[in-house]
Amino acid sequence: MAATLILSGPSDLDQSSQSDQSASSRSNNRSLRVAEKERKKNEAEDPFVLALKYFSDVEAGTPVHGNDDVERNLVLVEKVAYSKGLTPEAVSIMLEFAMSLRMGTTLCARVLKCLIPATVVPQEAVVRAVVWLGVGKIPVGTQILFIKWVLTVFDMIDAKDQLRAVYGFIFNFVTEENLCPYICHLLYLLTRKESVRVFRVRKLLELQSKLGRQPFLLSLLSLYKVFCPELVTLSIPSRVKSGFRNHNMPWKSALIAVQKRNGAQVASSISLASTMKTNPRKRKHCHLVLPVLSSVVSKRAQTEPSSSRKLVPLVQVHSFAQLLENMHRIELPAQMGSLLGSSLALQYLDCVQDESALLRFNFWLGYALHEEFLFRGDGGASQNSEEALQFLNTLLSTQHFLQEGFSCSEAFLFKFLNVWDGSLLRPQILGLLSSIPVVPSSQIGRLLFEPLMQLFFTSSLFFKCGLMDCLNNMLLKWLTWHSVYALEDDLDISLNSHTSINMTLSGFKDSVMELVDFVGRLASLGLRLEGCHSLLLSFILDFYETVCDTFLKYGLPLVVMPPPGVFYPALLATDPVSVDRLAYIMYRYKVNLTSAKSQERLTEQAFHISRQTFREFNHYTVVMVNCLWNSKMFQPDMGIQLGEELLLKSNVPQYGKSFDLIHHPAFMSYAVDFHQRCLPGRQDMDLNSLKHSKLWSWYQEYLFSQGYDGLKQFVQSNICRQLTASDSLPT
Amino acid sequence: MERLHNSVKSKSKSYRMSHRSSFGAAASRLGLTPALAGRRLNTSRRAPKSHNITEKVSPEQLALLTKTEWQLSYVTPLYRFGHTQLKSYAGQLSAFIAAGKQHGLAVEVFDPQTAFRVSFSLVQGMTESDDDAETVLIQIHSKPLFAGQDEPQRTVWSGLLTCVNGNPEYLRSLPEYFICLPLFGSSGAEGLTTLVKSWFQQSFDCCFGPLEISHTSLQWLMALWTDCHTESSIQCLKMIWTLPAVPPLKVTYTVNPEDAWELWSSVRKKRGGEEEDCIDIEEVTSFMRGLMSHFYRHFKLDLSAGSLNQVSTALGSAKSSGRIKISNRRYMVTTLALLTECALLKMPI
Repeated sequence: MAATLILSGPSDLDQSSQSDQSASSRSNNRSLRVAEKERKKNEAEDPFVLALKYFSDVEAGTPVHGNDDVERNLVLVEKVAYSKGLTPEAVSIMLEFAMSLRMGTTLCARVLKCLIPATVVPQEAVVRAVVWLGVGKIPVGTQILFIKWVLTVFDMIDAKDQLRAVYGFIFNFVTEENLCPYICHLLYLLTRKESVRVFRVRKLLELQSKLGRQPFLLSLLSLYKVFCPELVTLSIPSRVKSGFRNHNMPWKSALIAVQKRNGAQVASSISLASTMKTNPRKRKHCHLVLPVLSSVVSKRAQTEPSSSRKLVPLVQVHSFAQLLENMHRIELPAQMGSLLGSSLALQYLDCVQDESALLRFNFWLGYALHEEFLFRGDGGASQNSEEALQFLNTLLSTQHFLQEGFSCSEAFLFKFLNVWDGSLLRPQILGLLSSIPVVPSSQIGRLLFEPLMQLFFTSSLFFKCGLMDCLNNMLLKWLTWHSVYALEDDLDISLNSHTSINMTLSGFKDSVMELVDFVGRLASLGLRLEGCHSLLLSFILDFYETVCDTFLKYGLPLVVMPPPGVFYPALLATDPVSVDRLAYIMYRYKVNLTSAKSQERLTEQAFHISRQTFREFNHYTVVMVNCLWNSKMFQPDMGIQLGEELLLKSNVPQYGKSFDLIHHPAFMSYAVDFHQRCLPGRQDMDLNSLKHSKLWSWYQEYLFSQGYDGLKQFVQSNICRQLTASDSLPT
Repeated sequence: MERLHNSVKSKSKSYRMSHRSSFGAAASRLGLTPALAGRRLNTSRRAPKSHNITEKVSPEQLALLTKTEWQLSYVTPLYRFGHTQLKSYAGQLSAFIAAGKQHGLAVEVFDPQTAFRVSFSLVQGMTESDDDAETVLIQIHSKPLFAGQDEPQRTVWSGLLTCVNGNPEYLRSLPEYFICLPLFGSSGAEGLTTLVKSWFQQSFDCCFGPLEISHTSLQWLMALWTDCHTESSIQCLKMIWTLPAVPPLKVTYTVNPEDAWELWSSVRKKRGGEEEDCIDIEEVTSFMRGLMSHFYRHFKLDLSAGSLNQVSTALGSAKSSGRIKISNRRYMVTTLALLTECALLKMPI
């Protein structure tokens, strides 16, 4: 009855959004009527509300078979139950519907199974259902199911006083043999001193003589004996097998899922903790559970009795303003792992740089990662990958928030890369990998490159692209770190702090160099393996866009040119975008190199870029200009050489021209298009005519107008006005 | 000049700060980065000299240590654990257990008489080097629920936190306030183990993980025990193997002590002087090979295809699942040193 009253009453079904809506409009003191109307409208439209209304109003004896309404509505309720859990009112309605057997016994069990409370279970509903237990003709199996449900959600029942009031009524069910174990458990949870009566003790003893020394009877009796030793004279073995089994099987996983999803809203999450605590065996893998943010037990007071400062536990800090106010007297939580979930705490941690706090955090995080991904022999990582996924995402967002990686995740990754199959949680693992701090060049090969190389060559194109992206991000982070913390004019920073790391600028340069070289090797081979796939090429060019700007953007005096295995596939690519990006990269190289050169001239002690680098750059520039502009492909001094007779054999006329901007496979279509627009009257297509000076410059303008800015910048910086190629950059 | 110097200093300080936090404090103190150090199990160790542990450790405690079979775990370093606070820890832990046991039950009056009494005690004399922290023994006593008034409380659970001959580099790298007792052994109801572990987790911000005894460690134990045979008889050397057949084949392989000793002596290398009591991993593996080829000759079964699950002698027994019993107190230290090493290998950083 209570349930239906609530449904029609003004305290709307707490579909939280609706209640928020109506509450806010009320407080705003806007037209109450409008709000009410809107609420009614919403309510009327919400199919879930309609479904509940159906179940509260449906008449007894409505047939089930062939009844589409009931099926549709029940599916709806089930969906909500398993995703968000049911509101207290919904639990009341559905429980009342099931136990009253208004539509027979078949639906009863099904409804019971989906009774997943979102927050609490109203006591009245349970009491009413218990009453139905006495009245209706519910099959024994379903009765047991109901009691099991009560036991499962026991801690979520909002009060117990009325249930205790019907203790005697519940007690009567012990005589039913099948129900007895469960009823005993329920009674055990409800028993107070005043519930222990002589006749009940006698009844239990009588049952015991009939059923034997059952653990459930013994447990209940032992509790009676604790309360009233004078009533229970029976000697109970000192080690009664502790209590009752858990009967939460049908609901456990759904409950956990719902509570997790609802997160902090559920105040009474204790219930889960208790159900989980009672069977530690089932919950073997719990290392990914974040510890609860809690303050330190008073023991600190004993160790530092003289501390006069009053400390504020982090758990009591709820806003950033509060954090600022109490910055000087924050007390860290008992378990540092709890910080992972709280951005406020992370802000604090980031700011204080407390060494032991960080170490505690790292111990916990490292432990969790190792246990989850390395030490578990059962390949369980795939079992609860949902949990692992969430954990890693939290970790990633934390690292993102702090803008640096944790040392333990680095240590973990170096081990994990050796056993990783390259597909398990790929985005997360690559994400973690991209934020590892600079690895000393002496170790980088063994720790990073060897396992990555193996993964790279044995994985799909998709993985190769992902890894390229990851390495690009890694390089970006290293360079950013450098540009923030290093001094431009202090070339060899020795970090002689208390740490044993001695990262000098040259050490850092070596590491970056190693990384760039490694990616160069991977990229060259990868492009060959994948037939110069343009997606892979695009990721590789991303990387070189970072590399070509190390000096100007990040202040790192280091310029590394791409290997021929990257340069030529990009130059001869069939898509114009790649060629354009290569041109842009070459342009940036030039800007970086000239600026480095001029700086070297200005400040005597500046760094030294090897002549080899300049030579490589010049060579590439000459090749590019010769190939795209001068129609002089396959010159003897180029990187690619083909035998004269082989070229003749190919029957390509004027093979030297075959990769200029007109005949290049990436730009041919533009040339044709341009030809048609510019010389509309011409019947025969003569692309070579575009090479004439006027048309050639128009054609270039046309290409630039298509958005090929890279080409434009390359041309402007490398080719003189007279439209003849300047040979190269002076060294 | 002065100004320049200052600016350099402040900048490089922030450079360092970032580095420290990015590598993590621990990392910076543990050599370059933790993983870089690539820790492995020692390939050589001293033969178990019968330590005069009996003189250093009290006989009651030794008796307790030898009579129990321990389920092993590794523990990350304890933060702000104080060996002088044991008494107050005992009080806190018993309150914690009482609270944990009460949870969810309707027992509202809780009789302190029937509750759990916890004791923490120091096992002095177990340490091998100055870096080792003193071993701590935890016992939980309880009186049966319906026992008579005069019935004494019994020990229902015991636990051991120890560090014997831990890697000094690692131990010294830990900052102040961190006490490293990496090896945890427990014996008793699993529920209590869980409660004790979670109390430690909450009080000292540490983590517990299961410690299996690896194949190699089991072989080491076999060799170390066999090596003692002349001093104290091993009775027999027993191994339990599982072979991957369908259904799995369980092989119990028992070796006569004299035969085992003879085989062991034959694989021992000749050494001179001080190195005499050193044992190398090569000796251990050739001992193992000898045992396996003997088995193959008789049964045409190659044990190397299977896995070694359990080894036992009169001096002790060990299971791959991480259960160990050290029956002879004289070789306790050697065994615990090996296990401490295994536990330290499991440390995340």
